[in-house]
Amino acid sequence: MLEIRGLEKKFGKYQVLSGLDMTVPEGSLYGFVGPNGAGKTTTIKIMVGLLKPDGGSIRLGGEDAAAGGWERHIGYVPDFFGVYDNLKVWEYMEFFAACYGIEGRSARKRCSALLEQIGLEDKTEFYVDGLSKGMQQRLCLARALIHDPELLILDEPMAGLDPRTRFDFKEMLKELRDQGKTIVMSSHVLSELSELCTDVGIIDQGKMALTGNIRDILSQVNSSNPIVISLFGGGTDRALNILKSHPYVHTITVKEQDIVVRFTGDEQDEAVLLQQLVDSGLLVSSFTREQGSLESLFMQITGRDEERTVLKYENESGL
Amino acid sequence: MKMNPVYKREMMVSSRSMRLPLIITAFNSILAVVALLNMYSNVVQVRMTADVQYGSFLDLYRFVATIEFIMLMFIMPAITAGTISGERERRTLDLMLTTGLKSRDIVAGKLGAAFITMFLVVISSFPVFALVLVYGGITARNVLFMMICFVAAAFFAGSLGICCSSLFKRSTMATAASYAVLALTVAGTFAANSFAYSMEKMSWSQSGYTMGMMGEQTVNSGGVFYTLLVNPAVTFLMILQGKTGVLAGGVLEMYGARSSNLILDHWALVSIGVQILFSAVFVGIAVKMVRKKGIGRNA
Repeated sequence: MLEIRGLEKKFGKYQVLSGLDMTVPEGSLYGFVGPNGAGKTTTIKIMVGLLKPDGGSIRLGGEDAAAGGWERHIGYVPDFFGVYDNLKVWEYMEFFAACYGIEGRSARKRCSALLEQIGLEDKTEFYVDGLSKGMQQRLCLARALIHDPELLILDEPMAGLDPRTRFDFKEMLKELRDQGKTIVMSSHVLSELSELCTDVGIIDQGKMALTGNIRDILSQVNSSNPIVISLFGGGTDRALNILKSHPYVHTITVKEQDIVVRFTGDEQDEAVLLQQLVDSGLLVSSFTREQGSLESLFMQITGRDEERTVLKYENESGL
Repeated sequence: MKMNPVYKREMMVSSRSMRLPLIITAFNSILAVVALLNMYSNVVQVRMTADVQYGSFLDLYRFVATIEFIMLMFIMPAITAGTISGERERRTLDLMLTTGLKSRDIVAGKLGAAFITMFLVVISSFPVFALVLVYGGITARNVLFMMICFVAAAFFAGSLGICCSSLFKRSTMATAASYAVLALTVAGTFAANSFAYSMEKMSWSQSGYTMGMMGEQTVNSGGVFYTLLVNPAVTFLMILQGKTGVLAGGVLEMYGARSSNLILDHWALVSIGVQILFSAVFVGIAVKMVRKKGIGRNA
């Protein structure tokens, strides 16, 4: 759907993007994350045509962005809501419809359908500057959908929203995802992204540090996480003897009542190990692999140099 | 035919705002006060002296037209200088630029709305302006010429305002810059000519000639004189004095005598043309700068 290759952007002497590559599959909800100053907003502004790149290419459905007419395929929701004084919700929608060349009956029909979809059908006569932040953000989403774009780009869309509005907004995004829209969304709330997104891209220092399907990434992270075993009624020494002789166990750490094992086997090997422990008469009260999260992965990628080295090692070892 | 969406929105918003009624009220009140005071002073003078000075009735035309011109030059930049920078401040410019809307559509919509506002103000002043026709001495041709001059001056000041608005991030800076450039255009060209003329006179004096001997015919402000073509105040003063060419006399005589040429013979028309040309350049800059970052905007 969206393919970015070797994107470069410099502001004065500051190189913001240095050869960014990004692929957003069609119909995906792509979480675009990175620390502050990593180049997220610059990338988004280039995608929506507000900035010109110094190098590289952007293609949407095989069509080059440089060819023009690109804005008709993209809907943009920025991290702010531009407020007009003395403009009603209905007029705001019709204005942006007219900006896309949609006027008359078709504009009214489209505006009406979208306002109903976002739950603002009873606020059409309200002035936009009088709406709550949550309503304004929903209206902004409706505005971005006015020309029925294939790709929706959202920059921190849920920043500053209360939990209820965030929930409603997430539901709307899920609905759009289910309708087949391709969505690129940047956010700092990684738990939300891992819940919503199908794909993720982590940008750091102007380059794509990690990208791919979120489930694949997290399952790979999980498989490298240690297994934590809890025993009921003692028997740690017996358990240690079994673990030491197991070919997939690399390291063992005893933490109070728990045994933390670095285990490289697959799910079947895990089950066999558990069976061995139970057969030896041990009362295993818990046997779980620590769950990796997007947040921990993000911290690993964008964290200190030592952590980066670890990640590199893990990548080389097939992560 | 599709209406420019920016123009449509601007008109809709301004129709709800109190700004336009306030401008029209203030503008016409000032004009009416000036006109009525002038009429009153004429009537008092006639009562006291029993001498009817028909020439003083023409002062009404001069007063009303001058006040209208000054207000146009002040109001137009105030209306346009906040148009693009205001969109930047509200952060709505980026939203518009991500639609199919072109920079030229945005500038045309903004300028069109400002121009219509100004046109409405000028039209609303017609009843007061018509007072000058009561006593005679002013023809419809004079009034028509004056209206053309007003339109050209409003276009010049308006496009200058929108140009500054596209260059600066803040509306206050854009407004200040618009007035500064306008002051430089009006007062600066007069000052430059006064300086050039004085220097030329001094040069003649130093070379041993006296003004009476041969200087009067040839001493003038030189090529700097043509910078006055861009000055709307000069065009206005010439039309006010009923002159169309420099050689017919008028305000520009003070910068020395000159021989006839096409520009001097048709000064009013040429200067209006030059001002429209400059306005087009200002609009062109505005179109170019809408997509660029305003001065002072962070990357």
